[in-house]
Amino acid sequence: MSPESISLELETEGVPSDATNAFLSRILKLPGGDQLLSCIQCGMCSGICPMGYAMDYGPRRMISALRAGRIEDVYRSDAIWLCVACFNCTYRCPVGVPITDRLIAGLREELLGRGVGVPAEMQAAFERTSRYGNPFGESPRKRDAWTKDAGVDVPVLREGDSAEVLWWVGCFGSYNKRNQKDTVALARILDALGVDFGILGSDERCSGDLRCTSQGEEGLFNALYQHNAAELGKRNFKQVLVGDPHAYNALRKEYPRLGTTLSVHHYTQFLADRVSDLARGMKKEITAKVTYHDACCLGRRNGEYEAPRDVLLTIPGIRLVEMPRNRENALCCGGGGGANWLDSFIWQRTRVPLPMQRVQEAAKTGAQVLAISCPLEVPRFEDAIKTSGLEGRLEVREISHMVAEALGLLGGY
Amino acid sequence: MKIAVLLRQVPDVVEELVIAEDARSLAEDDVMYITNEADEHALEEALVLKARHAARVTAIGVGGEEAKDALAAAIAKGADEAVFVPVPFEHRGDNHRLASVLAPSMKAAGYDLILTGVWAADQLDAGLAGLLGVRLSLPYVGGVVSVAVDAPGTKGTVRKEYPGGRLAVLEVGLPAVLGVQSAEQPPRYVPVSKVAQAKRTLQLTELTEPTVLEMGVRPTKLLKSDPISRAEMLTGDVSQVADQIVRLLRERSLV
Repeated sequence: MSPESISLELETEGVPSDATNAFLSRILKLPGGDQLLSCIQCGMCSGICPMGYAMDYGPRRMISALRAGRIEDVYRSDAIWLCVACFNCTYRCPVGVPITDRLIAGLREELLGRGVGVPAEMQAAFERTSRYGNPFGESPRKRDAWTKDAGVDVPVLREGDSAEVLWWVGCFGSYNKRNQKDTVALARILDALGVDFGILGSDERCSGDLRCTSQGEEGLFNALYQHNAAELGKRNFKQVLVGDPHAYNALRKEYPRLGTTLSVHHYTQFLADRVSDLARGMKKEITAKVTYHDACCLGRRNGEYEAPRDVLLTIPGIRLVEMPRNRENALCCGGGGGANWLDSFIWQRTRVPLPMQRVQEAAKTGAQVLAISCPLEVPRFEDAIKTSGLEGRLEVREISHMVAEALGLLGGY
Repeated sequence: MKIAVLLRQVPDVVEELVIAEDARSLAEDDVMYITNEADEHALEEALVLKARHAARVTAIGVGGEEAKDALAAAIAKGADEAVFVPVPFEHRGDNHRLASVLAPSMKAAGYDLILTGVWAADQLDAGLAGLLGVRLSLPYVGGVVSVAVDAPGTKGTVRKEYPGGRLAVLEVGLPAVLGVQSAEQPPRYVPVSKVAQAKRTLQLTELTEPTVLEMGVRPTKLLKSDPISRAEMLTGDVSQVADQIVRLLRERSLV
């Protein structure tokens, strides 16, 4: 090192860079953002992080670098893109720093805004979501095409229409062929329960949660919010029923922040409120040992652990067993925070995919069924089951699909 | 150095293409537009050149109102100036006509480099870049995958891919028109908030069409293409189709 560069380092040491200051002043103004200053550097966050072993900068060290005025060091790390938004760090933090929603999302937003870029896989998901309102690049006009095969009437609410329940179907539930089976199952359950419901049809767009709030694409989130809030405002309904826990989080927590307050229920909560009705109709037994995987967005992020279990326990024949890591300790499927679109980026840096770890844990309980409440987990765990050699031993099932089977509603589909 | 990039709006095939009642055009109301993919690469290459040289990039958006959104995105990505060239729906695929619309103003602007996609999804005739080259009496290279410009800005070195795994490095005198196949790096991402901001503050120069226009070709009929009789279309649900693919691969000893 030359003498000049040493003196330069000495001069700048301890002086926060302009970029650090700009970042902090923006984050501190956001709800909960000022908690960042309360960090006691205990390291709970980095220790609990399921990807922590692959991060050169864990959350604790990121905050430490910010305090040293060296945000540029964090920019140079891949760690920002390894976060799967499992909310373990946020949940464990003893002083309540919103690490996932503010620190990680804020850093990602900085990288986007400064043109540093975004991993290519993620870029495609952003571009498609911006253009088509879904991350798959599917036709926005065909969002409700699944209703043709539902076997029951699924009313599409137009401007001015009313229904008791507005069902937010979501991107995976609308477009992914495998998830559509569970969407149809839920449609039939609602029909059987005599619920007065309707969907937004092709006027629904991505809620924005999965790729945006924890991905740092705040502008895209705002654009999606503007569209969805306007469409919701044109219909009359008492509550919103949501299939995807990520959309549940967006509609429950983020939309009110921007001015749209809704009464939002995840479908497992909706069904848990009606277990006696369900129990009366359940004539078919499902004789199986079942373990339930807590979705991060429903569990740690929104505190709902019991509704999915209550619904499962209503199904006759089921024996519910728990995995060692359950409820607030559940291991993430690895798909949150946009990580569903960063699989190869993350795999190159970790080599032990989270969904593989999780299905192995599920199989060790002796369960034949891995019950889930988040549509992402279906493709993620089914792929992991194949690559783990567990095919034929463990089956992934959305709770709605199991309920529909017990109610005898799966005929002809 | 002055660089112009032509960005055409073409029908997005994510939505079904509906044939209009006249049976020779698409139903305009059902068309959703997207910037021609190769044109996005031309823009990226121009921005790469801008980062290397003191270049001024003019984005020229061609098509209907949607072209203005593409121009806002181009400005957000780093283009310096936006020009909007409205073209009536029925003429958008006619590159002879389009070249005659564009040539006079492009000649007057005196660009050192004119970049556009080597191919557009809706073109009826030859590539726009080549036709512009002829009209402007400028050299043209198509199928370009990278561009470098020398220090005085008088000579370009371009790479062009040939079939059979051969790549040529060509020298071309500037000014020149280049038909870009792909940029040397993938088109960059620009956050939605920046595009929205560019949209709010967008300053457009609008080009009016010259009165004397050359017409190229026009379609007399538009219809669904028939599958070739020797092609075997697989039908059924996903698992049935998968079974058929596995059977075919086994039968042909490919797996």
